[in-house]
Amino acid sequence: MSETREVWGQATAFLERFRRAGWFDLLLLLGFVGAVFGFLSLAGEWRELRPAVRIDLSPSALPVYVFYSLSRGLIAYLLSLLFTLTYGYWAAKDAVAERVLLPLLDILQSIPVLGFMPSVVLALVSIFPRSNVGLELASILMIFSGQAWNMTFSFYHSLRSIPNDQTEAATTYRFDWWQRLKWVELPFATIGLVWNSMMSMAGGWFFLMITESFVLGNKDFRLPGIGSYMSVAVAKGDIPAMLWAILAMVLMIVVLDQLLWRPVVVWAQKFRVEEGAEEQIASSWFYDWLRRSNLVEWVTRTAARLGQRAEHGHQRKIADTSGSPSSARWSGALSFLLFLLLMGALVLGAWRLFDLLRQLEPREWLPILRACGWTLARVLLSTALGTLWAVPAGLAIGLSPRLSRIFQPVVQIAASFPAPMLFPLVIALLKAAGVSLGWGSVVLMLLGTQWYILFNVIAGAMATPSDLREAARSYHMDMRLRFFRLYLPAVFPYLVTGWVTAAGGAWNASIVAEYVTFKGQILTTNGLGAQISRAAERADFPHLAASVLVMAAVVVLFNRTIWRWCYQLAEERFSLSK
Amino acid sequence: MTVATEAAVQPTTETLCEARNVSHDFIMPNGSKLRVLEDVSVAIKPLEVVALLGPSGSGKSTILRILAGLIRPTQGEVFYRGRQVTGLTPGVGIVFQSFALYPWMTVTENVDVVLRAAGLPHDQIRARCEQVIRTVGLAGFEEAYPRELSGGMKQRLGIARALSINPEILFMDEPFSHVDALTAEGLRAEVIDLWAPEDSNPSSILMVSHDIKEVVYMADRIIVLTSHPGRVRTVVNNALPRPRDQRSPESERLVDYLHEIITGTEMPDLPASAPARGRIEPLPRTDTSEVVGLLEYLHAHGGIGDLFDMAAETDHEFGHMMAITKAAEMLRFVDTPKQDVVLTAEGRRFVRADTEEQKRIWREQLLKLRLFQDVYGLLTQQADHAVGADMVRELIIIAMPREDYETMFDTMVRWARFGNLFAYEEDADRLSLQ
Repeated sequence: MSETREVWGQATAFLERFRRAGWFDLLLLLGFVGAVFGFLSLAGEWRELRPAVRIDLSPSALPVYVFYSLSRGLIAYLLSLLFTLTYGYWAAKDAVAERVLLPLLDILQSIPVLGFMPSVVLALVSIFPRSNVGLELASILMIFSGQAWNMTFSFYHSLRSIPNDQTEAATTYRFDWWQRLKWVELPFATIGLVWNSMMSMAGGWFFLMITESFVLGNKDFRLPGIGSYMSVAVAKGDIPAMLWAILAMVLMIVVLDQLLWRPVVVWAQKFRVEEGAEEQIASSWFYDWLRRSNLVEWVTRTAARLGQRAEHGHQRKIADTSGSPSSARWSGALSFLLFLLLMGALVLGAWRLFDLLRQLEPREWLPILRACGWTLARVLLSTALGTLWAVPAGLAIGLSPRLSRIFQPVVQIAASFPAPMLFPLVIALLKAAGVSLGWGSVVLMLLGTQWYILFNVIAGAMATPSDLREAARSYHMDMRLRFFRLYLPAVFPYLVTGWVTAAGGAWNASIVAEYVTFKGQILTTNGLGAQISRAAERADFPHLAASVLVMAAVVVLFNRTIWRWCYQLAEERFSLSK
Repeated sequence: MTVATEAAVQPTTETLCEARNVSHDFIMPNGSKLRVLEDVSVAIKPLEVVALLGPSGSGKSTILRILAGLIRPTQGEVFYRGRQVTGLTPGVGIVFQSFALYPWMTVTENVDVVLRAAGLPHDQIRARCEQVIRTVGLAGFEEAYPRELSGGMKQRLGIARALSINPEILFMDEPFSHVDALTAEGLRAEVIDLWAPEDSNPSSILMVSHDIKEVVYMADRIIVLTSHPGRVRTVVNNALPRPRDQRSPESERLVDYLHEIITGTEMPDLPASAPARGRIEPLPRTDTSEVVGLLEYLHAHGGIGDLFDMAAETDHEFGHMMAITKAAEMLRFVDTPKQDVVLTAEGRRFVRADTEEQKRIWREQLLKLRLFQDVYGLLTQQADHAVGADMVRELIIIAMPREDYETMFDTMVRWARFGNLFAYEEDADRLSLQ
């Protein structure tokens, strides 16, 4: 009797589980088929060559454009990840290469995307003259160059900060390099990598409008996508279309956040190292559904089985060759070869750059330097303005659990939205108010970079220890005293991070903020960003190289002096962890 | 009970693992070398438990890592069964002080990966995992993550992981210092039970400890080290029958004997001669409040105390208790005949004084030390009574090249601040008279 009841119970449980998860599995399957179909049609798109792309401004065409842009972003992200893992690993493991790789990464990080763009586009288009592949690759590479660097820095730093005893354990238990990577290094780096991936993906969208509707001299290298849709809408002054594009972009970011990043963040929780206090673990409905899905369970189980079989083979292989010093010699030789190649490329690049710069007269540098001064002033002004409103607002949000629950996701979405898409609307407003672009470009920069300051301040405010706040309250400190003696010092380290990111973003934004096309006419003001934009559009390579070089130099110099000093101050005086 | 000292290396019997004439230097951040080990020889024979005992700074953990092949010594060689080892020493499993578990793996996975790395066939891994987890008493916790386990449980997992590869020698680096006292007591007995069968691994155990009672309970041979740099002071054989009782008179006698050796080494019974213009002596790394606390404690306990009882009672590691006592002795607040600590007249005066007076006495005593005399003299010579801190750091480096100058500088500043002797401004990195 009891046995039948048990069987009956199991059967109901199974059916119930199936009924609950069934439709989700179906959706998942449909989504998967849709993605495959989409990528097949994308491949067709790449193969053929269309000389001029006509952008359809009707809203019904938008989903396809969103799909094109999204797939470019995702492919670029996969490239960034691949680059991160190899470059970061190499820099962390090879002490000689590290001395070149790290400064190089620092420089790459400070070169604005537009600096690479014209030459990459021309080169790739000439390699693939009969298909869209060249242009698509160029656009993907441009997005990549907005994504890769900070991920690489994060991975490298994680690899270098693995606790000593954990590496020692891996050594005594004789993990080979692959096991060490799989079981120790990658897990340790995961959380940092996930957060930086989110930042990177957002950063990659910043220049979408330029990378998809690139004009060089009199050649039009337009690609179908949401960026080009927007730029056409702007050129035609079609305000409803602009609003549609903005809406589509916001939707895309929200969907990416819900279906990709949030689940990944929740999954990554398992790699956290700190113990105790399980402070507000993020949750994700999509992740919960995935875990409940029969389909996903089946796929992961099969994958695990296949993985085990593969590893078995690998193991037999290492059993044969384990302990042989030849593998160490091989990796040493490989590393050396790569290093030689890198040095060769660097020398060649330096020579080409020198060759370009030689074509400039010495007096032609003066306007570039003067323009740089203007842009520097705008960058600092926009960072200061951002600080002025974001610090009080961030404190208000971060110190109130209720407000931070509501606003934190909103701020994150706002920060991932590519500000240049809002520029046309803001410019229209500025024109109506009679503000010149010289001042207006500061507003445009602010539009993109204030969020970095805001969400860092929110994070800092949330991390302020409650005992310090309680102490301030119990001693009846007034608002002014609390602000200057407690909150400002407490959030200072976070504020510095916000400043560095915001200022970096502002330099980048100057390229699109100081040189704007609006309703077919070009608005411009004196500045380094305008110099770069103009040189790129005219395919004036010597000028482009010179202005990009000046910008990179100023950014690196700024990072090395002012920001480093701020970081030191934050660490020595205002660190709460000591 | 037989207590005898002998050479650390006995060439006559077969040895499992051996370090011969090993010296080791650490490179300091400023590029200078710090010698942590000086000509140390240690050998581990089959079927024995060897303990390395010494205060902090005696390089005991470094010896363990050199024997395991994790660190290459600056000088000297490591042998395994008579053959020189250049890489990792075979047949070794290590239990780490801070556990060194992988937080993203469950109990089972933590053991599983070690066996996979060892190249064990798949069908055997599972059985072996289950077996060692059961052996250390973690059955039922297979799917738990390390963060869900208590300190004692974590170390059980650390031991399971080390045992899983069936090591000939089990290396344990202060295995119970991050485990609460009661749990540690149980674990010690279990480890001895695991080791006891002569026909199965681990054949021997090498452990690092600063706890004399622990060592007397567990080890057959106790290698006593001195500090700065680490040297073998003596080797004490411990032939007490097992199972041992920590509270038996024989055990306590051995504990006392080891106490005497260590205090004799670290605080020789020399008369506290006036080192007025003597050499600059390294300051023990202590906080002033600890020295004051020691004096208050002595005063409340009739002016006399036993070093090791005090360490146990105040819950201090004895090495650190010794540093505090040494600091008080340098300032002539206490005297240390044998292992007793006695309050001096000066010390008594200090305890009875009010805060202002205490600072004055402290300042007076500081100025009897060469280092403070020199720095104070330097400051009074300057027109603005201030000097860059780097100049003082240099003075410390020249006088005590083997010490960690940053720690020494920090300690000096703390002592001086307490006596209002001179001030240190961190931002400007300079010292000045008040």
